[in-house]
Amino acid sequence: MQEPRVVEAILSRYRNLIILAIVIVAQLLLLAWQVRTTQDVRLIRVWAVTTVTPLAGVTEAVRRNTIGFLEDYFILLDVREQNRKLREDNNRLKMENIYYRNQLTTAENARALSAFQLQTASKTVAARIIGNGTASSAQVVFIDRGSTSGVVKGMAVVTPDGIVGKVIAVYPLASQVLLVTDPTFSVGVESQKAHIHGTLSCNGSNCVVDYIQNEEKIDPGEWFYTSGEDRIFPRGFPVGTAASVKSGQFMKDIHLNLSGAPGAADEVLVVLHGVHQLIPDTPPEQRVAQSLPAPPPDAAPGPATPKMATQADKIKQKYIDIGKEENHVYGAIGGNMPNFNKPAAAAQSPAQAEMPPKPAAKPASPPVVRPSPPPTGILGARTPEPTKQPAAEKKPSHVDNGPVLPLGAPRKKAPPATPPQP
Amino acid sequence: MALVESQREREEVSSEQLLQDSTKAATAKIAVFQYIVVAVFIFLLSGFWTLQVQNPDYYSEAAERNRIKSTPILAPRGKILDRDGRVIVDNKASYSLLLNRDQLKWEHLPAIADALHLDYNELAGKVRRMGSRPQIVIKDELTPDDMSWVQSHRDTATYPEMDIINSWRRLYPQDGYAAHVIGYVGEISDAELDLPQFIEYHPGDVIGKDGIEREYDSTLRGVDGERRVLVDSMGRERQVDKPKDAVAGKDLQLTLDLDLQSVAELAMEGKRGAVVALDPRNGQVLAMVSRPTFDPNKFTGRISTKDWKEIVDDPYKPLMNRATQAEFAPGSTFKPFVALAGLESGVIDDQTEFHCPGGASFYGHYFACWRKGGHGNISLHRAITQSCDVYFYNVGNRLGIDRLAHYTQLAGFGGKTGIDLPNERESTMPSTRWKLRTFRQKWYAGETISVAIGQGAVTVSPLELAAALGGLSIGGRWYRPHLLRDAKPVLTRDGHLNPQDVAEVVDGMYGVVNEGGTGHAAALPNIEVCGKTGTAQLVSTEKMKSMHLKNNAWFEAFAPKGAPEIAVVALFESGEEGANAAWIVRDVMKAYFDKKARLAKERTQLTREFHTLTLPWAMPMPAALALGSGLN
Repeated sequence: MQEPRVVEAILSRYRNLIILAIVIVAQLLLLAWQVRTTQDVRLIRVWAVTTVTPLAGVTEAVRRNTIGFLEDYFILLDVREQNRKLREDNNRLKMENIYYRNQLTTAENARALSAFQLQTASKTVAARIIGNGTASSAQVVFIDRGSTSGVVKGMAVVTPDGIVGKVIAVYPLASQVLLVTDPTFSVGVESQKAHIHGTLSCNGSNCVVDYIQNEEKIDPGEWFYTSGEDRIFPRGFPVGTAASVKSGQFMKDIHLNLSGAPGAADEVLVVLHGVHQLIPDTPPEQRVAQSLPAPPPDAAPGPATPKMATQADKIKQKYIDIGKEENHVYGAIGGNMPNFNKPAAAAQSPAQAEMPPKPAAKPASPPVVRPSPPPTGILGARTPEPTKQPAAEKKPSHVDNGPVLPLGAPRKKAPPATPPQP
Repeated sequence: MALVESQREREEVSSEQLLQDSTKAATAKIAVFQYIVVAVFIFLLSGFWTLQVQNPDYYSEAAERNRIKSTPILAPRGKILDRDGRVIVDNKASYSLLLNRDQLKWEHLPAIADALHLDYNELAGKVRRMGSRPQIVIKDELTPDDMSWVQSHRDTATYPEMDIINSWRRLYPQDGYAAHVIGYVGEISDAELDLPQFIEYHPGDVIGKDGIEREYDSTLRGVDGERRVLVDSMGRERQVDKPKDAVAGKDLQLTLDLDLQSVAELAMEGKRGAVVALDPRNGQVLAMVSRPTFDPNKFTGRISTKDWKEIVDDPYKPLMNRATQAEFAPGSTFKPFVALAGLESGVIDDQTEFHCPGGASFYGHYFACWRKGGHGNISLHRAITQSCDVYFYNVGNRLGIDRLAHYTQLAGFGGKTGIDLPNERESTMPSTRWKLRTFRQKWYAGETISVAIGQGAVTVSPLELAAALGGLSIGGRWYRPHLLRDAKPVLTRDGHLNPQDVAEVVDGMYGVVNEGGTGHAAALPNIEVCGKTGTAQLVSTEKMKSMHLKNNAWFEAFAPKGAPEIAVVALFESGEEGANAAWIVRDVMKAYFDKKARLAKERTQLTREFHTLTLPWAMPMPAALALGSGLN
């Protein structure tokens, strides 16, 4: 009975001060809610995370050191600890291994050698995933490295097997990472064979590569690597393989299997200083299995995207071909008389004219053949000329291919090709 | 005792003072805290006042906009087709980057500009000018690099103001093919926004800037749709409303024939000048080429400064449509019209002869003929065929400038054709009135002599000459040249000319090509081509030599003689002799008649197949076979 009285007395005596303190604390909390740090994070969130992170770390350490101690000491002694260290070392070594293998593969030509001499490996810091984000819809995790470890908002987070995400908020001792599987996040990717660039977007485990035109050549099972164009991931990190490739209305419909497990990894690497690498010529798995060095890389770039053309370009090309066939220079002084109705065997047919020019170098993929346009159905539209015409059917040069004149029209003998000057 | 009491009293006094002091201090502290609390409350109240009382509509509207995000669905422009329905200008799907005003943060702009290779000041100016518009397109035709960067940075924690929309890029033929006819599209400028015809347009809208794209912008332009989505506080899409679909622009079918256009383009490669081919019976323009040209594809997005500078600094002005805007002396191509004026006015007839000794003196000046040895006694037919200057000096002298101007203006000289292309220039046909009005000077009879051979003040564009020739070829009825396939022919002038006079001139032009005249290069087998060469001086002969200039070469022709279907004019700048332009016209005409023959053959074959496959009395002939098409 005595204790409530004392509390009551204290409350009544310091009532004003207590109310004032509550108001001030409330004001401070409200202000902290409104104020954002230079990294665009609410101050209250910084306080909360900074307060909770050491506790979480301590709790995790206590749990690990008590339960883990019993297991480690009594059952496996310190095997688990060694195992963790070995896994960390293994991951680091795998990264280094991939890097050096890439370098060794590409160092066989001058460009790669130059790149090898100039560039340095990406500087990374290992981090542990310590929790998931609170929002149910967001694919975010917390890692135990923050600004004190040099982590800055926007840095890439990877594993040796693939990409994980990017840092979206940084606290002193922790950071928040948006996983690549979040629907709002995308990554610039590049195909391994033809170096076709696209953008990877995921909705959970359903990942697609967008913005690759139907004319481009991508094979199912082909590897995709980071292209570096997103300015987050350095170029050359493995991303995944094409699970299915279909032609869409405008762009290709490519589904991708991620090579890493963004949500399931325990340890990750934060890329503090990214270094772009060349895309390796062979997929990571194959490289690991190979005992011989990869063949010299093809220095030629991937096949160029065919130049977009309208029917006007194709018809002009047809007449260029006719001119070449007849050795006729259009508009040239003293030029021979062209015959634009010559059978199409020699001249390029409209369907052939629609094919894009072949690339100069041997491409990694076969040349793309664009489909013929549908018939216009418009009165007087040109019907496609036959694509094949036996050479024997060529009309002799003396055959008059002039226009068909109406009955009764005057028919004059053709003048010589070069009549005398007046 | 007294000492002890006095000490006690002192202690009591000091303790009372201390008590009083501490009470005062506490009261002061409480007062300070109270003032602070009051100040904080006033601060909060002022914020509340601003939010809830002063600008409630603004903030509620902003909150609503945050809740419902609206993005435009851009409508594709109509395609441009040739007379046979073949695509000249197409659309290509691409992507554009939008900035949403509600989520826009100025501090993000430098990073966005840097990553997308945009000029920051230009971007900032664009954003400032966006006014009340909820979004603004800041970059079209995003490259794969741009797409990757935008997609990976448009999350709510980074740059949520960025949005990608599907857009349509205009796809023009390569290498400036028909560029001057088609024109190009571009973003509306501030100056254009101030014009009354663009009152319904907004900054950032794409409009036709030149050529057909500008002339028929309202037809080609579609109506944009809208996509509205419900977003949460993090900017994630939660619900998508039924979109308001975009309405595509209407396709436009032109009178151009891609076969003729292609041949004309190839014939003008490496040259300066223009070619115009039209159907004199209705004014349909079959081909129009101007060289040098430009690539309109460079204008579809944002033309680079380098490309723009290259075009603007080119001394030969590639943006200028020489077919409608180049005004040059027509030279001897003017002579058939002078002959017609002479015949119609009665100052000459087909038997009138003049003597050409290689030149003649008029009003104290000696005017030379192109043939120094002269043509001797020469009549109209030979004068046209041999292009005798002295003959036409005499005709011009007899006519006088005003009578000559009357008849040539009937053919369209001294005006515009009225073609459906922007910025057509007016040709010049001098007269006493014209000189008085333009120079405040009297016309001297000696000046008529030069005009009679297409020199002096008379100037004409290739299109005007083609239109004039077309009207002459069909007996003196002039149709307005046009490019829209569906447009009805407009007869602008009917000269009610004497058919015999026209026939005399046409015969002379037939001789130019087929009787060993100056235009023999344009002769075609089995086709009666009529033509006339023209070699036009730019300045005096002395100046030409000192400035290393060459004469302009003209050639005009129509065919067939009896029932003209096509009239072609070629201007070959610095081509030296008119005959050099005849080869260009020959190729274009050959393409026309070869195509006509091919179509006739195909039609005959189809008709035969149709009759062998069906019962001729049971089914009517298909319209496609009955009506004919293309070149009719």
